[in-house]
Amino acid sequence: MNRSELLSRIFVITGIILAIGAPLVFWTRTPLIHARMAENGGWNPDIIQAEVGKPLQLKITSDDVVHGFAVGQMDMQSVDILPGKVSEITLNFDKPGIYTFFCTRWCGLNHWRMRGTIEVSGSSSDPEPVSVPLYVTLNLDIDAPHDAPVIPSGQPSAINGQQLVTNLPINQSTDYYRANSPYQVFDELSSAVLTESERWDLVASIWKSNTTPESLANGQQLYAQNCAACHGENGAGDGVFADDLAASGEASMQTMTGAENMMMQSPVDFTNPTRMLGASPALLQGKILRGGMGTGMPMWGSIFTEEQIWDLIAYLYSFQFEYQN
Amino acid sequence: MRFYFHLLLFVMAGLVVAFAPLPVPPIAPQERTFRIDARQFAYSPSELKVNPGDTVTLQLVSTDVVHGLYVDGYDISIEADPGQSATLTFVADKQGSFRFRCNLTCGAMHPFMIGKLTVGTNNWLFRSLGLATLAVFGALISTKQKA
Amino acid sequence: MTKIELTRNPFIKNALKSRYPQLAVFIVMLVGYIFAILAGLIGTPVGSHNFSIVFVWIAWWAILILVAVPFFGRGWCAVCPIPLPGEWLQRGAVLTPPEKRPKWLNLRVPKMFRNIWLQNISFLLLALFSSVLLTTPNITGIVLAAMLFAAIGLSAIFERRAFCRYLCPVGGFIGLYSQTAPIELRIKDKQICVSCEGKPCYNGSQAGYGCPWDVFPGGLTKNTYCGLCMECIRTCPHDNIAVNLRPFSADLAKPSTRMDEAFKAFIMLGSAMIYAGVLLGPWGAFKDAAYNVGTSAWFIYAVIFLSIIFVILPGFFTLGILKAKSALPLKQRFASLATALIPLGLMFWVAFSLSFVLTNASYIIAALSDPLGLGWNLFGTANAVWQPMLFSILAPAQTLALVGGLIWSARTAQKAANEVKVSSIPVIIYSFIVTSIMLWLLL
Ligand code: SF4
Ligand code: SF4
Ligand SMILES: [Cu+2]
Repeated sequence: MNRSELLSRIFVITGIILAIGAPLVFWTRTPLIHARMAENGGWNPDIIQAEVGKPLQLKITSDDVVHGFAVGQMDMQSVDILPGKVSEITLNFDKPGIYTFFCTRWCGLNHWRMRGTIEVSGSSSDPEPVSVPLYVTLNLDIDAPHDAPVIPSGQPSAINGQQLVTNLPINQSTDYYRANSPYQVFDELSSAVLTESERWDLVASIWKSNTTPESLANGQQLYAQNCAACHGENGAGDGVFADDLAASGEASMQTMTGAENMMMQSPVDFTNPTRMLGASPALLQGKILRGGMGTGMPMWGSIFTEEQIWDLIAYLYSFQFEYQN
Repeated sequence: MRFYFHLLLFVMAGLVVAFAPLPVPPIAPQERTFRIDARQFAYSPSELKVNPGDTVTLQLVSTDVVHGLYVDGYDISIEADPGQSATLTFVADKQGSFRFRCNLTCGAMHPFMIGKLTVGTNNWLFRSLGLATLAVFGALISTKQKA
Repeated sequence: MTKIELTRNPFIKNALKSRYPQLAVFIVMLVGYIFAILAGLIGTPVGSHNFSIVFVWIAWWAILILVAVPFFGRGWCAVCPIPLPGEWLQRGAVLTPPEKRPKWLNLRVPKMFRNIWLQNISFLLLALFSSVLLTTPNITGIVLAAMLFAAIGLSAIFERRAFCRYLCPVGGFIGLYSQTAPIELRIKDKQICVSCEGKPCYNGSQAGYGCPWDVFPGGLTKNTYCGLCMECIRTCPHDNIAVNLRPFSADLAKPSTRMDEAFKAFIMLGSAMIYAGVLLGPWGAFKDAAYNVGTSAWFIYAVIFLSIIFVILPGFFTLGILKAKSALPLKQRFASLATALIPLGLMFWVAFSLSFVLTNASYIIAALSDPLGLGWNLFGTANAVWQPMLFSILAPAQTLALVGGLIWSARTAQKAANEVKVSSIPVIIYSFIVTSIMLWLLL
């Protein structure tokens, strides 16, 4: 073999080895977390180990559509995970425990199943007391029917109610508000010499006084991002996935979790007064925290902070009450 | 010589067909709103017709994953998450047919998620058909002459 | 008309004759090709951010259909990496022929396969799966690798480049359309060939290999099957091979009479129209059907696809030329007149590709910096946003291509009709109708 042939072969073979080797080497050295629609596997890996006090660096990419990343109950901006792009995220944990990370941009009917856990080991300096949610303290059966027997003829106005409330001895405390449904409060007001619609206006004003514009705005944002796709942008239970949920019902439940006897339901209509005015904030808290147990309503306990849930609940009542003129 | 004369004639005619200004029938501008449902990988409705000068509002409703909508030629876009529809308002001041397409990767067939917005009549198509007719006409004449 | 012999220029001549420039290009192409396979297999599954999809289906395709084929004919085949490993193994050398060649089977391809029907089939197979192929890096990686290994396998069994000649899915239409290109490789003087002993251009010599494409350069009258590999320039002891610049579509003056080539013209014409409708049209149901391979909708799509190509388009064409008074059998008229559809088909593809390529070219910039979707930023362009390019010239350029193609095909039809002594009018009207449909689909 002459020299030029030999050299050429060396070039060719080096080229081939480089073309195969270089991508392989870089690929194995770049551990990525892959995000896929839940039907196609969700997060991979979906369990991540971390340690208290050590920054956790994550590189996440999406394999199909736009996803988002956030850790539940953590004060962080959610990060968009774009198809074919890599997002780098650094997390710091100061308490050990099991955290839930979840997808923040709707990626299909099963978007909410797209969750994973971060197991944070280590010890924390100040162990926090475990707080028991209000609905547990109150011993509420959150699956019991809670329809309001009486509903207002029009939308109760908090502004009108505010004018009445000043000259009446009415309990406006947060504890009272959270533990009672609007109908219960309406019912307790029956002793006062007021018309029905005045009583409903009063209820609305009590509900308003237990929230702030900031809370409502926060609740509205949480609602738009997490709830509107099923419950509808106007709360009417007619979100873009409402029909799919009802239709895919049983079949979807069987393939996803193996639960056979559960049925998907249509998302609740928050504009329905019978349903909403019979529900206390504590009851709604229970439903949101625990989820619908197979109805398609996700469990939000590991994701929202208590504060966020109260904000969200305050916003849900705004589908019933008129807070502004 | 005659050949070149004819050629010149056809080229001139072609230029007229391609570029002659057309009278635009005056139509009072309207406001139009379309609700467009977006799913993987189609819009519905996928064909929109408006008149030149109309103020067009598109409400983009994503029904499965995050989608976008970009209008060719107008170079404007919006994106919508499921549950958070978005609206885009613009004045349809360019006449013709424009594709609108998803501009946020939404799965495999994303590059082909396409709809069509037609503003007024699609004049360029008719001009092109006119040019094609002219071309065929010329070809037929030259065949006749040779025969 | 006049031809200009490019090889008269000593620089061009030496660059073509020497093996080193070619080898350098080969190595670069092969490395890129293998990288594309790897990218497809291990890179991000998101097509628009994966080197394999972006560089094969946007960059390569744009260069192939908008530049290489129209201007250089089989110019792509001259640098194509797919047959190289097989060819090198078959030859036992990367450069000049070695003293001892490896003992591969070196069989002759059976007569029944020595046409482009296999290429028609392989193209259609890819075409039917194109929605998946075009968008899924994995599949693209597998198909690219399969072609590489098929070429190696065929080189091991058969003589010369059996893969290129008879199986390559793109080779078929490149060959067909290369007839329109203004570049050709031809002999200079027929007499020299007649008296040449041993025909080293076909049989090989110390200086180089016998024509890998299994053509005898001395008999070349059209570009279709010459891969511009430049072996014959190296082997011809009489310096009788020239690369010429010539008028466009010179080969089409002598219409083909082969059925496989005639149907190739319909296959290409039809698939350009179907793609324009399915991929660029506003009809979601078509896209679903084309993408969901294996579902009943897809089977219906496949049946419609095939019947447009094999029944509807050739059917109306046949109806148009049926009545003509001619001594020639219908089959021969069909094959000859179908030549007129070659420039039209090429221009259909140009018009279709313009839209697809200009819209998505910005992906190339981003993929250059992050070819595998691993979060790299090699040239700082990884975050370039998707943005259609040159929109204002798109529609005029498409009209120009399509109406130009129509005129071109009308002229070709007249020549072909002259040759078989029938009227060209039905073919011209046919071309007008399909062009109108294409204009409607694209504009
Ligand atoms: S080697 Fe040259 S002269 Fe001889 S047949 Fe081939 S092309 Fe002709
Ligand atoms: S050897 Fe010559 S004729 Fe044969 S493919 Fe190569 S360039 Fe073409
Ligand atoms: Cu998601």
